[in-house]
Amino acid sequence: MPVADLLVGGILLGGVYALMACGLNLIFGVMRVINFAHGDILAIAALSTVSIAVGLKLPFWVAIVVVPIGCAAFGALIHPLILRRIEGAPLIMSLLATYALSTILVNVAILIWGGGYSGLPGVLSGSVRILGINVSISRLVSFACAIGVSLAVWWVLEYTRFGRAVRSVSAAPELASISGIAIERVRLATFALGTAMAGFAGVLVAPAFAIDPQLGSRFIIKAFAVIIVGGMGSYPGAILAALLLGVIEVFGSYLAGAVIGSAFLFLLMLAVLLVRPRGLLGAGVRV
Amino acid sequence: MKGINPLAVAGIAAIVAIVLPFVGSDYAISFSIQLLIFLVLAYSWNWIGGYAGYTHFGQVGFFGIGAYVGSLLNFHYGVTWYLAALAAAIAGALVALPLGGAMLRLKGPFFAVGMFGLARVLEAFALGFDSITGGGTGIYLKPVSDLRPIYFAVAAVAFVMLLLTWKLDNSRLGLKLLAIREDESAAESLGIPTTRLKIGTFVASAIAPAAMGSIYAVYLGFIDPPTAFAPNMELTTIAMVLLGGMGTVLGPLVGALVLSVVNEVLWANYPQVYLACVGVIVLLAVLFMPRGIVNLGMKSGWLRIGRPLFRSLAARAGQAAS
Repeated sequence: MPVADLLVGGILLGGVYALMACGLNLIFGVMRVINFAHGDILAIAALSTVSIAVGLKLPFWVAIVVVPIGCAAFGALIHPLILRRIEGAPLIMSLLATYALSTILVNVAILIWGGGYSGLPGVLSGSVRILGINVSISRLVSFACAIGVSLAVWWVLEYTRFGRAVRSVSAAPELASISGIAIERVRLATFALGTAMAGFAGVLVAPAFAIDPQLGSRFIIKAFAVIIVGGMGSYPGAILAALLLGVIEVFGSYLAGAVIGSAFLFLLMLAVLLVRPRGLLGAGVRV
Repeated sequence: MKGINPLAVAGIAAIVAIVLPFVGSDYAISFSIQLLIFLVLAYSWNWIGGYAGYTHFGQVGFFGIGAYVGSLLNFHYGVTWYLAALAAAIAGALVALPLGGAMLRLKGPFFAVGMFGLARVLEAFALGFDSITGGGTGIYLKPVSDLRPIYFAVAAVAFVMLLLTWKLDNSRLGLKLLAIREDESAAESLGIPTTRLKIGTFVASAIAPAAMGSIYAVYLGFIDPPTAFAPNMELTTIAMVLLGGMGTVLGPLVGALVLSVVNEVLWANYPQVYLACVGVIVLLAVLFMPRGIVNLGMKSGWLRIGRPLFRSLAARAGQAAS
């Protein structure tokens, strides 16, 4: 068994999961909403990237700039239209609303891009040899960017004024409101930031994976597994769990085939849910 | 009681349901079978999702288990479809019992995500263990020549589900489930055995979907993982309950009737935007009508067949029984 190859492959795969799960986690922490549409935003971002690079023949960096901004704008639109209106409602309503949004996005994506697979051949192709292991450049770049952005957002949360506001809204919305934090504005900004992170993850996925409109549903369950294993609301937990699950998925796929290999993730998720529902690094979240 | 007589409505509906398979076209029977299957799924979901208030995104998992258990029995051993459906129902209950004991310790979003993931695990297993399930190719069953027996079986199950929900709505058990929905810790502190009731409801709401899965496979004559564990089946079921009214007796019925017709029209005319339309319906229902058509109708008074009437009917039935 090529342990080193699989290990590196798994960690590189985990990078994108980390970026995606961090956005999901951020939204859950601040709004107590599980965004089922998160994966579909990623899929649409990836498909848009292909359209920009292949269809419009613009350079790849244009997509890196434009697509996350577009996703943030979409998030800023969705929040007042849907999520703010059901803030006080039972949890089931927000779950159903984002689940419905997810099916709408998948359908729209199929209408625009068709149901087939597409990819970005020629962007960041080739591979380099690091420590005797062949690593494809696209996966390496997407890993580096994903982890970089995840850590940057973490830094923003920990050390900036906005980050403190986000954390206080997440921990105690009433107290945050009393302290003069405009919680609705913070929630809007957080949701936009979360969707932008999903969008950026989508841009990074485009050169490294085959993408189709159903990509979102495959990624979202992995992101769910990541935030549950890492602990809902825990930022470092999500990054660590993402890398761990990336490695497990790659090893599982090698041993048992791709389909059953990805099922290992959910079995791990179910095991964590049952043994330690707060997750590996979670502090326990009130719901 | 002014307006329409609900008993007369129910009587007419029963006569239509019995006569339909003898006078209706094949298309009408086929459409009715689909409607009734969804009706059963909606009533099952209503127990755990509407009354007990647990957001269950994994019901289609039991539907799929039933579909595969029934199809495999039918395919390998030639078991008749109704016996296969019975076996599927038992299999659904046997899977749901330990699963419920484990998963129902989770609350709110954790339960929702856990069950959602579980349905996907099952689909992955159905795809992956292709030596048993046939994988992506699926299993082809012998087509049935006459759909009428299937129609009557499904109609009977749907009727029983309606009756059980009505009994539930008028019982202490129903009130206990509503108490769990509103505040589980408070219910627990009042001495309601929440764990037992939740698991019981979970198992009960898994039995009929498993049987329906088996029957659906026979009805299609074919089953593969994306059909057995179809996420849009889940969404449609939940949309029906939500649209009609969660935690009500007539909600799933109204929702299933309305949405089945809408679905059929959409499928016939705009199949490419079918899913988006269902999504928009759910979204609009969540935003503007979260309590459903039945509650809306009872509030504005144009729907007389509401909860008060059912209460009085139940009271009369109770007196007659005692």
